[in-house]
Amino acid sequence: MSTSPLAGIEVELAKLPPAVLEAYKEAVETIEAAFGEEELVLWAKEGLAIGTQTVRSWESAVEYYRVGPQVSRFLSFPSFMQWARCGTYLAQDSPTLAVAFFKASSSIVPNLRPQYIPRWAGLGRSLYKGTWKSSTLAAKFFEVSPDLVRNLPFWDVEVFASLIEAMSYKSYDVAGECLVLGRDVLPAMGREREAFLSMARALIDGSWREIKTCLELVPRALQQVDENQTGRFLKLGERLAKVGLRDTSRFLADGTLSLSKVPAGSQGYILDLCETLLATSPEAVPPFLKSLSGVLDRITISQLDSWFHRGVDLLKDNPESGIAFFKVESNTSVAMLETLSSSLELDRVKGIIRLYCSALSGSSIDILDTQELVRKNIGWVDEDSAATDGTKVFLPTIVDHYHDKQDNFSWFKVVSTHQVGHLEFGSFLFDFTKPSGLFDDRRFPLEEDVNAGKQAAEEEGFEPTQSLTDIGRFLSLFQDRQLAFDLFTVLEDCRLDYRIKVEYPGIRRAANRVQDEALANRPNIQEMGVQEALVELLIHMSLEQFTELPVPIEYKDAAVVLAQILHELRNAQAEVEDTAEATLRAYEIISRITKENPPEEDWEQEDLEEPGDFSEEEYESLIDQLQAGQDASGESGEGESRESPEPVDYRGDFKPEMVQLLTRLQSDQDQQGEGEPISQEMLEQLLQESSELELDAEQGDINDSMSAFAQNLMKEAGTPPPNSQPGQGYGPLLHDDDQGGELEAREPKTFAYDEWDFRANDYKPRWCIVKEKTVDEGDSTFYNDALKNYLSLSTHIKRQFELIMPESMKKIYRLTDGEDIDLNAALEAWADLRMNVPPDEKIYWHRNRNRRDVAVVFLLDMSASTAEAIDEGRQVVDDRDAPDDPVEYMVWLRRRREGLVRRNYKRIIDLEKESTALLIQALEAIGDTYGIYGFSGYGRENVEFYVIKDIDEGFGDKVKRRIDKVTPLHATRMGAAIRHSITKLEKIDATTKILFLISDGRPQDRGYSREGVEKEYAVHDTHMALIEAKRKDITPFCLTVDKAGHDYLKGMCGDMGYEVLGDIWALPERLPMLYRQLTL
Amino acid sequence: MVQTDQPSYKEYAIEEFLVRDEPYYRVVGDELDLFTAAYHQHIPVLLKGPTGCGKTRFVEYMAWKLGRPLSVMKEDGAQELKEGEVRVPLVTIACHEDLTASDLVGRYLLDANGTRWIDGPMTRAVKNGAILYLDEVVEARKDTTVLIHPLTDHRRILPIEKTGSIVEADDRFLLCISYNPGYQSALKDLKHSTRQRFISIEFDYPPRDIEAEIIARESGCTAEIADSLAKLGEKIRNLKEHGLQEGASTRLLIYAGRLISEGIEIRRACQVAIVWTLTDEPELQRSIEEVVSSIFE
Repeated sequence: MSTSPLAGIEVELAKLPPAVLEAYKEAVETIEAAFGEEELVLWAKEGLAIGTQTVRSWESAVEYYRVGPQVSRFLSFPSFMQWARCGTYLAQDSPTLAVAFFKASSSIVPNLRPQYIPRWAGLGRSLYKGTWKSSTLAAKFFEVSPDLVRNLPFWDVEVFASLIEAMSYKSYDVAGECLVLGRDVLPAMGREREAFLSMARALIDGSWREIKTCLELVPRALQQVDENQTGRFLKLGERLAKVGLRDTSRFLADGTLSLSKVPAGSQGYILDLCETLLATSPEAVPPFLKSLSGVLDRITISQLDSWFHRGVDLLKDNPESGIAFFKVESNTSVAMLETLSSSLELDRVKGIIRLYCSALSGSSIDILDTQELVRKNIGWVDEDSAATDGTKVFLPTIVDHYHDKQDNFSWFKVVSTHQVGHLEFGSFLFDFTKPSGLFDDRRFPLEEDVNAGKQAAEEEGFEPTQSLTDIGRFLSLFQDRQLAFDLFTVLEDCRLDYRIKVEYPGIRRAANRVQDEALANRPNIQEMGVQEALVELLIHMSLEQFTELPVPIEYKDAAVVLAQILHELRNAQAEVEDTAEATLRAYEIISRITKENPPEEDWEQEDLEEPGDFSEEEYESLIDQLQAGQDASGESGEGESRESPEPVDYRGDFKPEMVQLLTRLQSDQDQQGEGEPISQEMLEQLLQESSELELDAEQGDINDSMSAFAQNLMKEAGTPPPNSQPGQGYGPLLHDDDQGGELEAREPKTFAYDEWDFRANDYKPRWCIVKEKTVDEGDSTFYNDALKNYLSLSTHIKRQFELIMPESMKKIYRLTDGEDIDLNAALEAWADLRMNVPPDEKIYWHRNRNRRDVAVVFLLDMSASTAEAIDEGRQVVDDRDAPDDPVEYMVWLRRRREGLVRRNYKRIIDLEKESTALLIQALEAIGDTYGIYGFSGYGRENVEFYVIKDIDEGFGDKVKRRIDKVTPLHATRMGAAIRHSITKLEKIDATTKILFLISDGRPQDRGYSREGVEKEYAVHDTHMALIEAKRKDITPFCLTVDKAGHDYLKGMCGDMGYEVLGDIWALPERLPMLYRQLTL
Repeated sequence: MVQTDQPSYKEYAIEEFLVRDEPYYRVVGDELDLFTAAYHQHIPVLLKGPTGCGKTRFVEYMAWKLGRPLSVMKEDGAQELKEGEVRVPLVTIACHEDLTASDLVGRYLLDANGTRWIDGPMTRAVKNGAILYLDEVVEARKDTTVLIHPLTDHRRILPIEKTGSIVEADDRFLLCISYNPGYQSALKDLKHSTRQRFISIEFDYPPRDIEAEIIARESGCTAEIADSLAKLGEKIRNLKEHGLQEGASTRLLIYAGRLISEGIEIRRACQVAIVWTLTDEPELQRSIEEVVSSIFE
């Protein structure tokens, strides 16, 4: 009988405890059905082999039979037997192990490829070291492995198992705990698992106990750290562990905490820093991360850099002090944090200061940092000194004079008020011919003398030079031009400081403080030559120190007269011409004084608070006296050279001649043909003479840098350098475009338009060719995503627009026919009847007669500048429509988050496009006629006009797809685009027509708007185009996202509506709302 | 100035008040001569200018100057006048978007005895030879501006359709409207057919010294503070091209001055009266506050 082998086995089984046979009997049918008879025997035999191996192995056999039917469903017979044999081997070593193996099998087999089964069994086996504890661990491994296998790739399981094995050499208990922890934690780790496992691997030798803590910490770390950075973070941990860092868990904990404090975008930067630190000194990384969160409470991410690098430098010199630095336990570190945390970056207050200066000066002032000015290379060289070039104020990038932010801000304020003071109180308006109000005018006779002298020289072949600026003309009166300029600077600054304190009493305290500090830093007068000492004396007095001034006894009278002169300027009526006269007098005095250094005993402390009124007689007698002294001593004034005084830092770099020059160059540009324009040669000549330039270079270099200066200056003023080669730089483009004449629109869909030339005050006929093109179709996902991302906003806008409808749905009274009788009108009619007056028959009211009849063209700027990425910046969080329901809220929140993440990479045009999507939805809701166009182009013969939705076209998927393809292109010749839009709108019959222009900056194009003079051209042409629109009963409106827009929009739009959007993120919300407001 | 808690219109002491006191108006340019000339020549006057620069005050002053008592009527003006009091020398109507033609001209009312015609403020002004001042005229409905046309050309008549009559204006009647250009709404603008019936006098904020004088006079603050306030006004107006829709009006500066005279701390007074009123934008607010803190100690 074929059953005999089986029967034999059953007999054998019966010798084992009864549970074995029972389990066998239960399983036998299923197995037979699954595999067949022969296989059944093999199966049964294997069970017997297991059961008879050792005393307790029957337990394994029970388990073997019990799970057989379940396992058989997933495995082919050979695999099945392989599995069984694995169990047999395990049972040989330890029945407990085999039991655990079989128990786990039923749930693991479905998830494990058959060929891995032996490897899996082997992993468990490897944990068994013949001891009781090890068998427990191995059993536990089998217990948790279904979960592991289900959630991890098998090779990760292998790595993890080998990790556990390695740990088991240290402690079975800890290894067991880690095993369980790993089951819970590892699956969630995702792609960082590998990094984590190798980190843990690295910990085995040095600090295996850490592994458990790390396992506990990791989930938190994964939550808090940006997902793109977790890998790097763990990798860092691994590298630290490899170099023998003991408390990796601390590193994880501190690191997580610190990283969670910095914005997600900056975490990478922090990790960069850590890696830098790792290269220098791994021990410093944990303290750095530990103190980081505290440090970041005090300073910003951008300030962190300088603190960090200071620490790294220290570390290189002296590792211990470096580590103390990163622990914020060293004085250097604390002091530096103090300074940094109180320092103020210009960028953060730029906006405020810009408006402040504009308010004070009454003209549009730009605030730039001083580095920018130095970069322009037009004469200013000091990066730390504030300055102004007449339209811009340059300030240092950062102020850290004080340990208090407010104080540092006050410093900015004092400095910028001083710079603006130059503009407000007219330092640059110096007019040589304007008489002084406080002094007799000695300039004019002096000039005659000087000229007479020059004429005499001319006869000997000397050629006099013509001064280009009034300041230059004044300074050239003096032999020692540098001295005159130094004096002029001191006295003018003195006048301004005084005037500012009178006009702005509120700033007095801060200004006094700054002055006192400047005083404290002045060099010692008594160590100077007499001339220098007297100049320094003036500086001291200009900083309001009038008492205890050291004066050389011999020149006490001179000092008194100088003080009198200075006091004249401390007067709210003093003008820059008075400063010039004062300079002249101070020069005459000081230049007549010997340059030697008087001995110490010849000094005396003087109080010059009230030196008495200045009188021309006293002054003249002093001059005579000094002249006599000079003649007697036979000194010709030549001797050792005099040094210019140290600049007073808060007063910045004062260069009136340069500013006057720039202004002159600019006005030359604006009024061509009037007078002789300044040539580069003239400019170089002037620069050579100027005392405002400090050049250390050799003579040859000076000539080079002179011409560089001259070119830069002309560029700054918008004049093309005369000798530039065609095809190089910006010069030729200008002329290229001016040439040529009318253009012809020959091709279909091209149109010729005039352009307004404000200089000629006339149109240039047929000057531009507008080419109308339809935007290619892309994917409609962009449109749909935009609506999705702004779901809450879009519903809000839609609701707002739908509200317009009821507004037009309101009752209209006094109609001849309608829904109901209008009581007021009826009463009046009745009263009329009684009075025998013909009554008004309009006694009904009706709804919705008042149809909205609006046609609008939206014109989008597609210029290259719209490709600019928008900085993440602050963003108004729109919580208005947050749903109350928690489930909906989560959905809403997630959407919003997604939106935020995406926005990080956004460009201006993307926002324009998204706004358009929202707008379309709104417009569709109220049914206005609308067209959406983009424009760009290059040059006047190629103005591209892109149709996104034509005004008479219906909305549909085509339009949605076109929006996707709207991309930044070239330039912005607004005028022509506006004119073409006008043509479009003219064809539409509507009561209200609107032209809505959305731009990101000035109009710009080749030969249209080049930096300098031509910006005016573009602005004027655009202005004219807008006026044309107005004439045709089209209401233009400009919306710009350019923060500096106020400066030119006023000129461009005149009294037409415009808005500057300070916060570009507000565009999607603002645009539809603005439109709604405009048409109500 | 106007005591609105009085129970009825008749009891306004406004005429007496004006007869007693000359309204304070500081002449800046030739506006006084222009207005007087226009008045004698029956040419309607359009006053243009930003808010709070003294347009209304100027009309009040002119009404006083041209020798007639003044009374201000609410635009519904339905209240009866006292028996025997017929002159309505300055009728000021603040226009709004629901102001209709019959609000201005008048209407029939029912009473116990039947119906009674009541003259609207415009009719009364025309009949009594008053100066009719329509404040912010663009705000009114378009049909009202058409009413103005026959009154403002050589005809000087007011046809009253309801009563079937035409009122020829009294010799002393003058129509005067005010208008603030630079409104953003596209749909509100004065039609040229209307505009070109007026001479336009442009108003702007007065120069610093005159403004200081006005502030000192109106608010009772010291000359020094008034001067600083005027300086502040001038500086803030410089920001008009930088995001501020309107510069600080003389009226606001006077408010600040008044608060200061009442003992409010100067910077605080400027903050509530000027800075916060002008703008909601934080950066702009901060900038203006910095100007304030520079000017005032």
